[in-house]
Amino acid sequence: MPFGYHGCYLRIDVSNGTSEYVPLSETVLRQYLGGSGLGVKLLLDEGAAVMDPLAPEVPLVFAFSPLVGSPLTTSAKFAVVSKSPLTGRINDSLASSGFAIAGKACGCDAIVLVGRVAELSVLVIDEAGVRMESAAEYRGATCRATETGLKARLGANYRVASIGPAGEHLVRYATISHDGRHAGRGGSGAVLGAKNVKAIALRGSHRAEWANPGELTTISKSLSKRSFGPATAKYRELGTATNLLTFNRFGALPTRNFQSGTFDEAASLSPEQLSTTRSKTRESCVSCTIGCEHIYSLGSGGVRVEYESLFALGSLCGVSDPEAVLRASQRCDELGLDTISTGGTIAFAMECVERGWLDEPWLVFGSGDALLRAIDLIGSRQGIGNLLAEGSRRAAEVIGHNSIEFAPQVKGLEIPGYEPRALQTMALGFAVGARGADHNRSGAYEVDFSDKVDRRHVTLDAVRHAIDTEDKAALMDSMIICKFLRGVFEDFHAEAAEMLRSVTGWDVSAEELRETAKRIVSAKRQFNLLAGWTPAEDTLPERFLSMPLPNDPEASLSRQRLDSLVAEYHRQRGW
Amino acid sequence: MYVEFLGVPRQRAGISQLEVQAETLGQLLRTLASEIPPLSEFMAVDRLHSSFIANLNGDRFISDPATPLVKDDHVLILSADAGG
Repeated sequence: MPFGYHGCYLRIDVSNGTSEYVPLSETVLRQYLGGSGLGVKLLLDEGAAVMDPLAPEVPLVFAFSPLVGSPLTTSAKFAVVSKSPLTGRINDSLASSGFAIAGKACGCDAIVLVGRVAELSVLVIDEAGVRMESAAEYRGATCRATETGLKARLGANYRVASIGPAGEHLVRYATISHDGRHAGRGGSGAVLGAKNVKAIALRGSHRAEWANPGELTTISKSLSKRSFGPATAKYRELGTATNLLTFNRFGALPTRNFQSGTFDEAASLSPEQLSTTRSKTRESCVSCTIGCEHIYSLGSGGVRVEYESLFALGSLCGVSDPEAVLRASQRCDELGLDTISTGGTIAFAMECVERGWLDEPWLVFGSGDALLRAIDLIGSRQGIGNLLAEGSRRAAEVIGHNSIEFAPQVKGLEIPGYEPRALQTMALGFAVGARGADHNRSGAYEVDFSDKVDRRHVTLDAVRHAIDTEDKAALMDSMIICKFLRGVFEDFHAEAAEMLRSVTGWDVSAEELRETAKRIVSAKRQFNLLAGWTPAEDTLPERFLSMPLPNDPEASLSRQRLDSLVAEYHRQRGW
Repeated sequence: MYVEFLGVPRQRAGISQLEVQAETLGQLLRTLASEIPPLSEFMAVDRLHSSFIANLNGDRFISDPATPLVKDDHVLILSADAGG
């Protein structure tokens, strides 16, 4: 067994609580590392691609990594990997903090859940083994209440991941929450809900040894020191929310269901404005020296404010009242809903109401009350919420009128806060993304915000840059290390190889890691091919390909240009 | 020309924009570092730190210190890490 690993995964049938430790070969670990890569590999081995994503037999993987538990900053992360009930394609969502460390301390490199337990239950893994306990008292409870309650019941040193009411109701974009953070995209919360598992509580004492602790300490100190520098200033000082005014300035802030790239009231939602009227604290994940979480006061508590939530629940729905947007974000956290898909689906419904295709006259752009009401209906699948809980693509199929042309999704996954016509390398990244429109698996927006391309007139030269960012993301999500560190590396692959060498003892090189990243991207594609992917899926909704942005005629992307970019992407991938 | 700050550069500068005379991007950045010392952390001589970027007139992003500037140009200084 290599250093840094336990060399096995824990496979649990939640139907009856039986479990076994299944060996993982060193070859597999070196080829797929951990996190997203290992998760996809395990799903392929389990044959998950052809299963119904909400069926009892479908596997749900919690994958850790060789770096988890090490002193490397931002390394306390885990990946939740499954077939998405929203897209029917691969889904890998990452979240942070103590759950990752506790999971690895259970003596495994991944936990694979299969089966469906008869009653709503908690899966407990600790020194006594694996068992299912009743979660009846937590039915309908928020993520936070479930986590707090289970720690009171089991002990404060358990680490808990849970679903909220949305996961119990199988909302197709329900999250899995841990410590206020979420494995957010693609509906992994619905997959856990379909297994009747409300929460997973972990406590362990196993430790994976490191190959070269002295070298690891030196690398860790250097990385931590650099994490306090200019490269992470944005995340420390203002948080991701600072994107709001920047994107608005460049006409790239999706507004009113992508009908515009600017929002006149954007300033009211900006962190610069929010911090003048509300107190703010900062929090960090376990093992993180950046501290990107900016918690703004709201009522008697606080709410974590991120750009994606501000855009999706604010400008995308035309809502400028900061109180309403912060409450909406908080409500999504409580219910266990992905804020991007929630906002995207509601904004889509608002446009359908505006066009007279949906008879819900209260659901109008700009109404904070409507936003909050819709979120609660989605979380409980009541009224119109039952349709919206299916996501914008399925809702469009029901609503008809060719509304799919402006349903803001790719492969069923709602589009994040990057206007594709104004950021066209990102448009390509969205179109070809294995899990759908996604800014965490493709960092192509970085290319648009550089002198490498003309963001509104990208050419085929942009493709290699988009591939580079996708490969880099695959590697970071498998090692796992936070992407907010990416700016501190002079040569990421070389430094990543150093980290892995010190932890595992492998003579791994930067070049090997570049190949590893491509292998992981290809594994995701292989999963999607088995699940029924066709080339026609690698595109954007018609809205983006048939009309320029109203306030920026240069921000125009034709189907012909996108198709040529996608074709070149496939060619360079060798697919 | 006008220089507009966004995000962290705006917070550090304490202003949203100012008027500066410069013939090149490098000259502009040296002037900014001199007139607004808190910004100097984000600069190395006549270049921005790699996590920051300059944009010319809302169109193209620029990094070459020799990039010529003219009187009516509008230069934006912002974080290069757009994601989140």
